[in-house]
Amino acid sequence: MTLTTLLLAALPLTAAQPTTPDLLAIKVGKAETIDQGTLEHAVILIEDGKIVMIGEDLPIERGIPVLDRDPEWTVMPGLVNAYSRGPLDSRGGNDSTPGLRASGELYIGEDFYGDVLELGVTTLGLYPAGNGIPGRAVAIRTKADTAEGLILRDDAYLKIRMRSSGSDKKMLKKGFEDADGWIEKEAKAREKWEKEQEKAKKSKKGKKDDEKEEDKSVAVPVEPSLDDEESGDYVAPEKDPAAEAFLQLRAHELSALVAIGQSSDYLHLIDAIGAEEFDWDLRIPITTELDIFNVKREIGLRACRVVMEPQLSQHPNTLRLRNLPMELAESGAKLVLIPRDDSVVGHEAWLRNTGEMVGYGLDRDAALRALTLEPAELLKVADRLGSLTVGKDANMIFFEGDPLEPGTRVEAVMLEGEFVTGEVKL
Amino acid sequence: MRFSNTIGAAFAAVALFAATPAAKAALLSPQDEESSDESGEEGFGEDDGPETHYFAVRGADVYTGTGEVLRGATVLAKNGRIKAIGYDVEIPGLDFQADVPSKERGYTAEVLDAAGYRVYPGMVAIESSGLLGTGGDYRDSIDPFDQNMILGLSTGITSTGQSNAACKLKRYISQDPPVPYDFDGIVLRDDCYANFSWGSGSARRSVREKLVRASEYLREYRQWQIDVKNDKELKEPSKKGVDNSVLDVLQGNVLAKFRADSREDLLGIARIAQEFGFRPAIDGCREGWTVAAELGRAGAFAIVTPRERRDKSEMLVREGGSSIENAAILYAAGVQVAIKPASRGISLGGITGRDIMHLPVEVGFAIRGGLPEDAAIAAVTTVPARMMGVSHRVGTLEVGKDCDLIVTDGDLLHYQTFVQWTVIDGQVVYDKQDELYFAHIRPRAETEVAPLRRLDAGENEEAAEEGDSEADGDDDKDKQNGKDEEE
Amino acid sequence: MVVAALCLALGAQAALDTAAPRATAIVVDKLLTANAQDEVHAPGMIVLQDGKISYVGAPRELADDVEVVRLEGWAAPGFVDLHTHIHSGGFGDVNDMVHSLNPELRAGSALRPGNRLIEIAVAGGVTTLFGIPGSGTNISGFGVLYKAKPQDGYVGSVVADPGGMKVAQDSNPQGRAGDFAFGNNRASMGWQIEDVCDRALGATREGRLDPALQNLQRVMSGELPVIIHTAGSEGVINTARMWKTKYDTRCCISHGSFDGWKVAPAIAALDVPVNHGPRTMDFYSSRNGRINGSAAEFVAAGVPTFSLNTDSSVMPEEEFFLQASMSARLGADPYQMLRALTIHPAQTFGIDDRVGSLEVGKDADVVVFSGDPIDPRTRVLRVWVDGDVQYEFERGRQRF
Repeated sequence: MTLTTLLLAALPLTAAQPTTPDLLAIKVGKAETIDQGTLEHAVILIEDGKIVMIGEDLPIERGIPVLDRDPEWTVMPGLVNAYSRGPLDSRGGNDSTPGLRASGELYIGEDFYGDVLELGVTTLGLYPAGNGIPGRAVAIRTKADTAEGLILRDDAYLKIRMRSSGSDKKMLKKGFEDADGWIEKEAKAREKWEKEQEKAKKSKKGKKDDEKEEDKSVAVPVEPSLDDEESGDYVAPEKDPAAEAFLQLRAHELSALVAIGQSSDYLHLIDAIGAEEFDWDLRIPITTELDIFNVKREIGLRACRVVMEPQLSQHPNTLRLRNLPMELAESGAKLVLIPRDDSVVGHEAWLRNTGEMVGYGLDRDAALRALTLEPAELLKVADRLGSLTVGKDANMIFFEGDPLEPGTRVEAVMLEGEFVTGEVKL
Repeated sequence: MRFSNTIGAAFAAVALFAATPAAKAALLSPQDEESSDESGEEGFGEDDGPETHYFAVRGADVYTGTGEVLRGATVLAKNGRIKAIGYDVEIPGLDFQADVPSKERGYTAEVLDAAGYRVYPGMVAIESSGLLGTGGDYRDSIDPFDQNMILGLSTGITSTGQSNAACKLKRYISQDPPVPYDFDGIVLRDDCYANFSWGSGSARRSVREKLVRASEYLREYRQWQIDVKNDKELKEPSKKGVDNSVLDVLQGNVLAKFRADSREDLLGIARIAQEFGFRPAIDGCREGWTVAAELGRAGAFAIVTPRERRDKSEMLVREGGSSIENAAILYAAGVQVAIKPASRGISLGGITGRDIMHLPVEVGFAIRGGLPEDAAIAAVTTVPARMMGVSHRVGTLEVGKDCDLIVTDGDLLHYQTFVQWTVIDGQVVYDKQDELYFAHIRPRAETEVAPLRRLDAGENEEAAEEGDSEADGDDDKDKQNGKDEEE
Repeated sequence: MVVAALCLALGAQAALDTAAPRATAIVVDKLLTANAQDEVHAPGMIVLQDGKISYVGAPRELADDVEVVRLEGWAAPGFVDLHTHIHSGGFGDVNDMVHSLNPELRAGSALRPGNRLIEIAVAGGVTTLFGIPGSGTNISGFGVLYKAKPQDGYVGSVVADPGGMKVAQDSNPQGRAGDFAFGNNRASMGWQIEDVCDRALGATREGRLDPALQNLQRVMSGELPVIIHTAGSEGVINTARMWKTKYDTRCCISHGSFDGWKVAPAIAALDVPVNHGPRTMDFYSSRNGRINGSAAEFVAAGVPTFSLNTDSSVMPEEEFFLQASMSARLGADPYQMLRALTIHPAQTFGIDDRVGSLEVGKDADVVVFSGDPIDPRTRVLRVWVDGDVQYEFERGRQRF
């Protein structure tokens, strides 16, 4: 790897002045990379906001500014909360509005972004409010100049609520029926169009005909050209947003996050899905007495993601504690942990609470992964963040100790190569 | 629990169930089952595959509900249906003599050794609330993990009337690979009754008008069926103004269900039923004992709560009010009696003995009032099954019926008896020792039935079995018991 | 046998209608004495004379003028229920919700011995009842101890009036103990009760009889028993401390429901009797996932005098026996539970010299059942109270 040598003296960095050099090497005692395990005496080279190199005891070329915090600091990827409404304040209903996007609600003036960024939360998945099928979540970075600038990815997932009730099951089934309805409508429209074409062909024999064939089979909707009816291109009927979302689900262009509340909801979900095939993950809020252990094997076998709070619950009607996030992770589910409380204070306790779960038996690696890479996968932004991997955004939190130990201080937070908080001196 | 499991590889998995075939079998009509039954009578194996699941409970005293008691017998089920009941029943998948799993065979079998226990048909609660979840549309709201369902099963209830349907208390059983919960399998029958209101004069008039119109139509239709043979052009009679549910009642497809308690209402129902020739089901029937003969003549079914106590109005000279003997008097007059408890749901507030969990206690009160024991058990098994039109599936233990049974540690109606296992469709869905609720109470011994310290130890059974009034020799035993207590 | 029994029964009735015979001998298949040895005689005979029991044992030769009643069934002592509210015939006349302390109130004045509820109670084998005011106030008042004798009046029925005091300490009176109540919580309820008790003690020390507190003075001196409505583990232990450790009264914990059984060992160590019911099962408070039979727990912890109650009409009085069978179902010993309906409540109120067991010299309160007395399938065939037949199956069969 060739690097441009820059002659830079050690310069102080503060959050107030985002003057982190474009090229920077950081040496830390420990790096929790998530995807390659824990590196000791890790060196991370960052250029233009991306991680360009990471390894143990890498030699650093002369001239590259170095932030040497080996062995005091431990680094891990910025936290990803995939299921939040922290900065949003709208209210939802009980309807099916799968076309609705949470990104429409974004307001840059919220303090929330900065507050949680300071705590190391570099990515948020914000979902639209409401029961039923309220719409699509958006993945955002927690700092930008404009609302649009926040957006990492729209349509991160489609949120669906499923309870053991006829209305919820019907709503899901109806979504796919709408999709079927559109397919039928489209097929009819095409048939009609083809017939018209046939007619037109008969009347104007010998005209160009071969070229259009391919276009028809793809059925790409194009702008209608009303002035030229006879030779007009095929125009697919307009998709209603409901049908569109479910067509996207079937095409695996969109995935669903289904919120269930208990074991029976899971069975009803499987029943409502029937023969449909689409990607879905689960959101299961931890309540005082949650019976989800009844279907943990089933959920584990699906290897889907499960979004939960790092919280213990009680075995129903007893005082016996159960670590359900651990049980699900051990069954094979991919754990995504979110703060117990969606407030700033909740985010502050997030790591500590996760550490408690590790104390109660949750695998440490699974716990760290559940804060970073798994939520990034859920939000479909894992190609650019969620782990300390070459090519990914330099989103990092630096601690003066073990991130999961209570009392460990956050020393600095970096978002896309910029130190955004902490007093950092090279 | 002592399960012997077969099939080599999966030997360790105690709960190796095969639910899919069971569920499929449950959907077969009785005729289908009969034919397959005959073919399988010779021996097992030809049509058996990996999907085939056998379940057997052996060594128990089997109370079939048909009047038979088979001591130390075996009940064998194949894919959820009873295949054999009796002695020397070969249990496929087990080498019968050596009691070892037979590895060559490709199917699964489970055996519950229950020597010293009793087997009864699963109870059919004519009415309950909450056992299938809180929603009305149970197919879309059932919670097969719910505590109430488990407690229903702990009572020995395997089927129940829910709204207007007959349903099974099917739990979800985790299997490998997972089998989706059979939401349709919970329903034995939809629309078991046509519900008639008899509360007011206008309601009674409306019932009569509907019956008049429907029977008029039936007469016309039957005449038309004859006449149309001669005159092919003849038009079918008009169905205008005919209530289909009333027509169903007159054709005997469903029972007409009334809610009535007073003597006047009961007499009115008995008379209209006789006039139009249908059999009424009367829920409540408090003063039924005063007009039992009339109800018997009408071929009525009654749903009674023996413990209900209400004095008659002091204005009345005639007999009336509740009677502990209501069920017995109705039964003696030929009325088919089903029993429901004072409280239809599960109650865990602390006052015990009155809710659906104590259905056998309520049955006990009918016996207190003179109802014979077999009729009392029928009141929570065969009669409700008949009323709901599902007696071809549940209510008794007979070859071809669903393998819904309970294994108890004694007389089902004795207050100390606990259901140890509940089986639905040939699958163990409740094991007392596997659930928190009752496992601590007289925990089941692994080897044999622990002798129960009972006030009536020994005497009632013997008296009942031998038909003698006296059972001698208990004297010393009881004294001994008493002395033990003081030491 | 049936025919014979019937004829004899008719004979007995005829005799009742005319002149009482010198003595009546009841011969049954089985006789549960509930005496100290829990003796059982099968078959057994019991002779009633002048309202008292003159013989209990195996059948024997009798003088010619003794009327013999032969019944197919079991004989047991009449049941004794210490926590009942049916004396007035309903739920009326139960609470005086004006004052939080009512040491002058007497339930006896509301007694209607022939009311329908008592008639049915006898048909369930209940022969002695302590009819008490409700638990809406801290000192609810004084109860009446009476026999179930629907064919008799106040004088013939009453054993003692007042028969004891009723106090309510937990749950019910909390927050609503009378219009003038200032005590809404456990601490102030305790304070109020102790204050009035101390005043009663003071009056006794000064050698005067305070007209308002005279009955309470009798409780404080140990002459009258006191039954205390209390529940939950903390309520039960507080009650025991106040009434036993501090005042050393003849107290009895009534209810003791929910997770009250969890302090049973402490109660047993203090030697305080427990009168349990109408709740005999706990699921929600104990939080161990079990359906806990609390009677079994109290007995297992060694509570010396454990009895059951109905709190009628919370549980119907006639279903008193069901408290025993359901407790036996949930783990208690059935013989102990039979004692909890008979001799234990009698001992708790110090009336075991008269009722609670079938022993010579005691009141002729005998119930003949068709079988196991605590089996719902069993019927009461006949009930004698003080030697008189108060219920007969043939005559009141519709009842219960």
